[in-house]
Parts: sequence; C-alpha cells; structure tokens
Amino acid sequence: MSEVRGKVLKHGEQTRTMHWVHLVAFIILALTGIGFYFNIGFINNMFGGGANASMVHRWAGVVFVVGPALYILLNFERFARFVDTITTITKDDIGWLKTMGGYIPFLKGEVPPQDKYNAGQKMLGLIIIIGCLLLILTGFPMWLWRAVVPPAFLAFCYSVHFWVAAILILAVCGHFFLAAIHPKSRVEFASMMIDGYIDAEISAHHNEKWFNTLEEVKE
Amino acid sequence: MEEGNGLSTATLANTGIIQVTKKCKSCDHCTSICPTGAIHGKLGQKHHIDPKLCINCGQCLINCPFGAITDTSMVKEVKKALADPSKYVVVQEAPAVRVALGEEFGMDPGTNVKGKMYASLRKLGFDKVYDTEFAADLTIMEEGTELIHRVFKAVGAPGYESSGPLPQFTSCCPAWIKYAEDHYPAILPNLSSAKSPQQMFGAVAKTYVAEKLGVKPADMVSVSVMPCTAKKYECNRPEMIASGYQDVDYVITTRELADMIKEKGIDFNSLPNEEADRLVGASTGAATIFGVTGGVMEAALRTAYELLSGQSLGKVEFKSVRGQKPIREATVEIPIKDLGTTLPVKVCVVTGTKYVGRVIEDVLAGRSSYHFIEVMNCPGGCINGGGQPIRRDMY
Repeated sequence: MSEVRGKVLKHGEQTRTMHWVHLVAFIILALTGIGFYFNIGFINNMFGGGANASMVHRWAGVVFVVGPALYILLNFERFARFVDTITTITKDDIGWLKTMGGYIPFLKGEVPPQDKYNAGQKMLGLIIIIGCLLLILTGFPMWLWRAVVPPAFLAFCYSVHFWVAAILILAVCGHFFLAAIHPKSRVEFASMMIDGYIDAEISAHHNEKWFNTLEEVKE
Repeated sequence: MEEGNGLSTATLANTGIIQVTKKCKSCDHCTSICPTGAIHGKLGQKHHIDPKLCINCGQCLINCPFGAITDTSMVKEVKKALADPSKYVVVQEAPAVRVALGEEFGMDPGTNVKGKMYASLRKLGFDKVYDTEFAADLTIMEEGTELIHRVFKAVGAPGYESSGPLPQFTSCCPAWIKYAEDHYPAILPNLSSAKSPQQMFGAVAKTYVAEKLGVKPADMVSVSVMPCTAKKYECNRPEMIASGYQDVDYVITTRELADMIKEKGIDFNSLPNEEADRLVGASTGAATIFGVTGGVMEAALRTAYELLSGQSLGKVEFKSVRGQKPIREATVEIPIKDLGTTLPVKVCVVTGTKYVGRVIEDVLAGRSSYHFIEVMNCPGGCINGGGQPIRRDMY
C-alpha cells in the first residue's frame, strides 16, 4: 500500500486522465446530442447551429472512443483487472445491493465489506461499458453509413442510441451525485479527478476487501 | 389553375408536393436518396426541400427513417366530392396500386387485390370505378406509333418530315418530365408527346365518357389512385385541360386509399372480388406491366414490332429490358414490312433519374445510338413509387 500522509493511491495517473477525457467528451456528446436531436436553439447556438453541434458531437464521439481505446491498449492488465472486478459479483455485492450501501435511509442492515469498487459502482461500470459499446455500434453507422443503410436500420440505430444515451446520462448524473456531492462518499471525487489518493481510513471502511489486500501486500 | 382542386400551379411551385415536417431528426438519409439534390441541410440540421428542384417523386418520403416527410393531400377534397350529390365522381387506379394495396391490410407484397380494390372504391362512394390500364393501352399505342414515325423520319421515308427526332424518350413518368424540363430543356423535343396514362384517362373521362354517360364535364370529378406523388403535380399542370376543365381533379396515393378504406371501417379482406366498370374498362397485358421498370419499353416494343412487321409476336417477351440494373440496353431486330428491310432498334431503359444525365448528354452530343429510351424515376419503376405503402425492412 502506498501511504502519503495517511492516504492510499486508488486511481493511477493514466486512469484519471482517461476518466477526464471520457467525462469531458461525454458532457459534450450529451449536450450536443440533446441540442440537435430535440432542435433546442440555445444549445445548438453555443456550437454555431445544429449542423456544427452535430459535427462537434461526431468528433467528440471519436475522442470518446479513442481515449478509452488508448488507455486499454496501454494498460491492458489494469483494464482486465477492472473488468474482472466489476464482473465478479459476490455474496457481499448482493448484500450491498440489498441495503443499497446504506444510502437509502429506510433500507436498514449491515453493509458487507466491498472490493475496490462497491456493488453500485460495479453496476455503473457494466452499464457504462455496455452502453458505450452500444453508442459506438449505433453512432458510427448513423454518421458514416447513413446514406447506404436501410431506413429501418437507421431508425433502429437512432432509437438505441437515444435510449442508451438517456440511461447513461441518468447513470452519470447519479454517479456524479454520489461521488461529488453526497457527504458520505464525496471524498471519492478528489481521488478520481485530482491526485488519485483517498484517505486510508475511508478506504478501509468503504472498500475493506481491497484495502485489506493492500495491507497484506505491505505486511 | 383556378378550377379543379384549388391547389394552384403557383402554390405548388412555391410549396411543392413534398415537404419535410417538424419531425425531421436531421439524420441526412434523404439527401442521398434525392435524385436532384433538392433537399438541403446537413447532418444535425433540420432539412428542407427546394420546390424548384424537387421533382415530387416522394422517394425521400418513403425512405425517411422517421416518417418525417409528407406529401400534399387531396383526400379532404375527394371526400367532399363524394359527399356532394351534385358531383359525379369517377376513379381510375394505376396498375402498380393493385399489387401494393394489400400490404396495408396485412397481405404479402405483390398480392393482386384488383377485385377487392374495385369493391372498396364502390363502397367509398365512387359513381364509376374505371381502371387506368385502358389509358395505359392508349399511351402505348400513341408512343409506339410515334416511335414508328420517328424511325421512318430517320430512314428518310416520305411523309414523316414533321415527326420528332430520335431517340424517343418515354413521357409517362411526371418526375422524369419535370427533371428534363428543369435540367435538360434541350432534350424536350426527344420526349414522346403522349400524355401519361393518368392524364389520358382524365381527358377521356371528361370528354368521351362524360358524353356517353350524359354527365356535364363541369359536374364530373375525376380522381386517380396512383403509386406516385408526382402525379399530384402532374394533374395540376395547366396544359392538362382537354375538356376545358382539369382532366384529373384529385390524385390520392395507394397509402391514402388504404387510409380511406380503414377510416370508413371497410373490412377489406372480406370484400368480394368485383370487376371495373366496362365502358373504358377493357385493357391488355401491355398496360399491366407499365408499373415496373422496362415495362413501358417492352409494351412499346411489342406494339412497334407488330405495327412495323405486320406480325404478331405471340408469347415472345423482351425480358432483356426488364431487371434492376439502373441502365439496361438491348437491340431488337424488327422487320419493317413497308420498307422491306430489317431494322435493329436499339433501346435503353433507365430506372432512377439520377442515372439519366449521362444518357441525355450522349444524346445531345450526338453520341447516342439508341432509338428508344424509357426513363422511370423510381428504382424498379412505379411499383416502388413515392405513394406506395412504406416498407420497414431492416435489410
């Protein structure tokens, strides 16, 4: 375990950079997508009209793909570990979901110890990976093959793209609330968005199973 | 035009027949469909149609993924005429309608519902239910004869000096006609002078038929059911007034007829098979194939062959001019009885106006060796017209 004034390193530099790139691209994509899909003048005008908003959307989409793709290529083992973590659902994760991690006041009960990512974050990770793949698989035909694909397929792509984007926007809003605003967990914000470190005490409480593995390595 | 359906030529020129609605999702699919570049707008930007460039074919309409493109409707006017006892309402239906209408009632594409279609039109209240096939026969006789005259002029036969030049282009497709007028006015002398079947029927209805039925042309309302949105523009052309009144007052599409049948609560699938009214109801097989690319050409060739050679073709079919390739050509050896020689007639079939430019430029530059060229705007012919049921296949 790396210790700097009672903190542990939770997210490496490249992970934080990728998260920033993905976040900024996502915000631009959401904003421009809403703007030109619903033809909302004031949003479109921020980008110089619907056509330009669409152009920004498409190139932000390229960043949205290339950013994580580069990260995965350069940090394949780390990404594989991340995928392994979020796809490993244990009894403790089920226990976390039953109590919703203690975030919901009327859901009482002991919150079981969690991995580096709690069950909620695991669900979010899966939603984001699957959602991003669906956005990519539908978005690029809408851009590059719009002239050649059948109209019904294009309409299908738009529907999937729209609903996946809506779910992702809601999921990311929830993620932002818990990671940046909620008093119980907002310390996570600095860990991912600034220096990568989190208070060891908080980590030992929120991510006990992962924290214990770090201590074991030290010992 | 002052009389008729109230849609003046000036209004149609300003608004066009086809419009993009507010439902447009800016997907930009339509710009790749439009054969004339009439649709303006980039990806992410609401699109609009320039009525001056639009040839009203409606291909963008049936291919819009979101159903955000619409055509000017004359259904309200048709219903008003049907409800007016002082009006005598006659209707004609194009060959391509009967094999598509069933799709709107859950039948397989291509099911011929001719008999049920006639029955449903009578239930809707039309006084006479005729069929465009008769007029398609008239068209093909006109076009075939005109082709012969042009061929005779080209070989120097006396008496045909006033005939038009070769090659002869077909003139049945109103989208193609507007395209030629807008983009290649120099080619107009090469277009057949024959009216389309719809307009021939309209002219016959308000002259010959009106006289036979004892109905004043002023009291007759002529409606056509077409697979085509450009026919709505065609019926409003100011020159289409053979009786002094608009030849065809209103055009409704296959889709609109299906909507009227559903709205009236008619159980289409249970309807008996009826026949068209017979006064001008007789027709040949030549008319039936008008609705498919190469069909007009085949019918014209068969007519020309018989007229020129004096021989019946029997069951021979010019299958080489059918098919789906955008440009197809064939050479047909036709023995000409009057000249005592055999003439190789070279024909070309173009399906899709976007492909016709090169063919026209060859003709204008004197490089073309064709004698007869069929042009239909819609891929595959009228069967895939802009007024047909909208398919939502994923492949």
